[in-house]
Amino acid sequence: MGLKIFLISIKMVIVTCIFGFGMVLSGCAPAVMRPSPEVYRETPRESDEFEKNAEKPGFSPRALAALQLTEQGRIFLENNQPDDAIGILERALNLNPNNGRNYYYLAEAWLMKWNIGLATEFNRLAEIYLNDDSEWLSRVILQRERIKERDQ
Amino acid sequence: MTKNKRSINMTLKRLLKWYLPTIVLICGIMLVYCWYLSIQIDKRFSGRRWSIPSKVYSDTTILYPGQKTNRTLFNEKLRRLGYREVAHKPVNKGELNRSASFVQLYLHDFIVPSRYKEGIPVQIIFDENRIGSITNLNTGQLLPILELEPEEVMLFFGSNRERRQLISIDQVSQHLIYAVLAAEDCRFYTHKGLDPKGILRAIYTNLRHASIRQGGSTITQQLAKNYFLTPKRTFIRKLKELFMSLTIEVRYEKNEILEIYLNEIYLGQKASEAINGIGEASFFYFGRPVSNLSLVEAATLAGLIRGPNHYSPYIDKDRCQKRRNMVLNAMYEQGWISDEELKMALPLPVEAVGYASYGKKAPYFMDYLSEQLTVLYPPQDLSSLGLSIYTTLDTQVQMAAENALKRGLDSLEKSNPELHRTDPQKQLQGAVIVMQPKTGYVLAMVGGRNYSASQFNRITQARRQPGSAFKPFVYLTGLDKFTPASILSNESRIYEIDGKEWMPQNYAPMTEERVRMRDALARSINLATVDLAMQVGLDQIISTVGKFGFSTPLKPYPSIALGSFEVIPLELARAYCPFAADGVLSYPLALKEVLDENDVVMERRHMSIKQVTTPEKAFIMSSLLKSVVENGTATSLKEMGIAFPVAGKTGTTSDYRDAWFVGYTPDILALIWVGFDDGASIYASGSKAALPIWAGLMNALPQYVSEGWFRMPSGVAKRVVCSESGQLAVEDRCPHPLEEYFLANHVPTDHCRIHGDGESFGRIIDGIKDFFNKH
Repeated sequence: MGLKIFLISIKMVIVTCIFGFGMVLSGCAPAVMRPSPEVYRETPRESDEFEKNAEKPGFSPRALAALQLTEQGRIFLENNQPDDAIGILERALNLNPNNGRNYYYLAEAWLMKWNIGLATEFNRLAEIYLNDDSEWLSRVILQRERIKERDQ
Repeated sequence: MTKNKRSINMTLKRLLKWYLPTIVLICGIMLVYCWYLSIQIDKRFSGRRWSIPSKVYSDTTILYPGQKTNRTLFNEKLRRLGYREVAHKPVNKGELNRSASFVQLYLHDFIVPSRYKEGIPVQIIFDENRIGSITNLNTGQLLPILELEPEEVMLFFGSNRERRQLISIDQVSQHLIYAVLAAEDCRFYTHKGLDPKGILRAIYTNLRHASIRQGGSTITQQLAKNYFLTPKRTFIRKLKELFMSLTIEVRYEKNEILEIYLNEIYLGQKASEAINGIGEASFFYFGRPVSNLSLVEAATLAGLIRGPNHYSPYIDKDRCQKRRNMVLNAMYEQGWISDEELKMALPLPVEAVGYASYGKKAPYFMDYLSEQLTVLYPPQDLSSLGLSIYTTLDTQVQMAAENALKRGLDSLEKSNPELHRTDPQKQLQGAVIVMQPKTGYVLAMVGGRNYSASQFNRITQARRQPGSAFKPFVYLTGLDKFTPASILSNESRIYEIDGKEWMPQNYAPMTEERVRMRDALARSINLATVDLAMQVGLDQIISTVGKFGFSTPLKPYPSIALGSFEVIPLELARAYCPFAADGVLSYPLALKEVLDENDVVMERRHMSIKQVTTPEKAFIMSSLLKSVVENGTATSLKEMGIAFPVAGKTGTTSDYRDAWFVGYTPDILALIWVGFDDGASIYASGSKAALPIWAGLMNALPQYVSEGWFRMPSGVAKRVVCSESGQLAVEDRCPHPLEEYFLANHVPTDHCRIHGDGESFGRIIDGIKDFFNKH
């Protein structure tokens, strides 16, 4: 009788362990990749950029309008909506192809969608347009490292 | 007496024996029939009730302060979006008040994937041809950006060509429900599908007037007739209608029946398209959703049910008003509107919003899109599922492209009557594609001069020789070995191809035996280009070109340098995009999103890119192609009003069979082709035939021109070189020093040996250089 109870207890422990391990594993595999929230907390709001640049003489109205779209794209990313973000960031890119932040956010969106190839491509473009902005360049480099990490 | 009694008993017995079972049998058959009908009705009602054509939309339009605009195209756009002009400040959605210096708009609500934009009243003030400011008229707040709704461009109709927008009964105002009941069936909520009182009254009225004045059909009967039966007037059909009405009433709630009826009814005609359902009719006649209809508008719509085209406000306003007032009086008689409401409504004139019936918009673009859609959805789904299909099309660009092509071809025919052909199938043709080079968005596509005469899409289906428009790919390959300052041979040579001799010639005789690479491309010099191609290697050129997405075969013949192999115009336009996009090739994107009828995203496409050359080479190519416009074959662009920086290349093929111009800025790229389908000569070069069309197009699209230029990548260096030697210029000695761009690893290090005091000076310079290199 004692042996029976002992065997049942052992079985229960094994089942519990397998179940628990499964639960832990499922928790480790997110369905959609979420970037670390710091990525967005660190990046300035594009509306701030808009206010900062609105007074600058060389800043074209077109570029200013594009910033509004970039901000909308950033918010979509914040809300974990990469597809919506991509749609709006593409429009921003068409309006102002020289804003490197569009490429940065596009890389971020594609990273969320697990498309490492496109994330790498947009990260490369971001670097071209942000290489004279040390603050943003460091973000681009960190992003590249994150892309590499995810690729492994 | 007994005999009589017996006879009655016999009759009763006979009745019981024969008639009763017959009656029971008939009742049974009727029940079975009703049961059968109920299955049929359930089957139809539980499934998809209507075929709703899928709608194709353009992209949204973005406006912002400081943006240049083409007022004509902008006003056209607003008209196509259904904004109706009023003489006061707009108070209802869809109203527009316009003056020379401003436009006041009450925007429509609209939904695009993941975004719902509620309509607000705005004022756009123009400062000459620019938008000065955009103000929210509700709050007085200045808006930095404004998005106009996508424009409906095409519907995928089934065989019926019915337009329909489904509505739920909750969206329908009480006024409209009462108006419909007053007009068609005022006892709808009390009868059981048949209205004996109504039938008797109809018979009495019709007999009194000795004509058919009134019908006795209830709404349920009308629904049964319209939805399930043919319009034939036969006894059998009427009997079926009766059974169906009874069955529908048993199986469905009154509000459900009314909702189906309101969505089903035919309410008019827009050219060849039928307007069905109150939801569609509400927009067609009054330009607003059914929930926003006023009392008189509701009564007008209800009045139309009896004879949509007879009482249509677009056909006879007086007749429409009389019918509307009949409905209003009927509503009053039923106590559904007050005395004051009636008195106020009766004298009001009938005012419909008006409509414009357009021909097929952007037909070649739509064919291109349809090809992609039919891979995703079978045609019957497209004509029935009510999908919303969003595209990259910009209808303003499309209109500008169509107009520019038409004007350009007309002008060519005028200047050379030999080009004029009466047969529309054989006419001089042209094609235009406009893209955004960074993203591959196709903004406009004109595949021919006249879609109704020829549906052959010359942008996506034609295979034509590109001529000199192909040269940039030779020069791009050349950048591996040469620089824009390199000197190329312009001497005539004979080449052997498949055992045959080939001797290329320049477009016009030239005396110079040596030309700089930049000049060779700018002036489209054939001999120098072939020299370059032979020096870099034909296989090398094919390898480069292979990355740019051409699907047509190319062979390593020297004539490849002059564009002797056929290309598809769309692929040629696409291949130019990397020059304007840091070396990145984007896939042409026309379809963006497909949403189902509940606005759930079913398909989504984004820009797709791959790097095909370096940003540095792309920048240098743009600089070389800018010289084509500044000093080369496309200098006449300046005379055509193009004052902003443009890169581009003309192309002309043997015997003037094809004329090309592909031009771009950082924001927009357009390809123009002109020629005959049968390959006859057009007697004009790319700069004469295609260039003016490009200029006409760009002049009409100020909103797409930022007037900026590409940023020089860090891997590009700028040096002053001698125009004759291509080496670093020696100050005060080289007579024509020039600034030139170089790849960082190809920056010249030697000083000019022609003007640098001969060999001795060169040796001194080299000595100094060696000294610094060693130390």
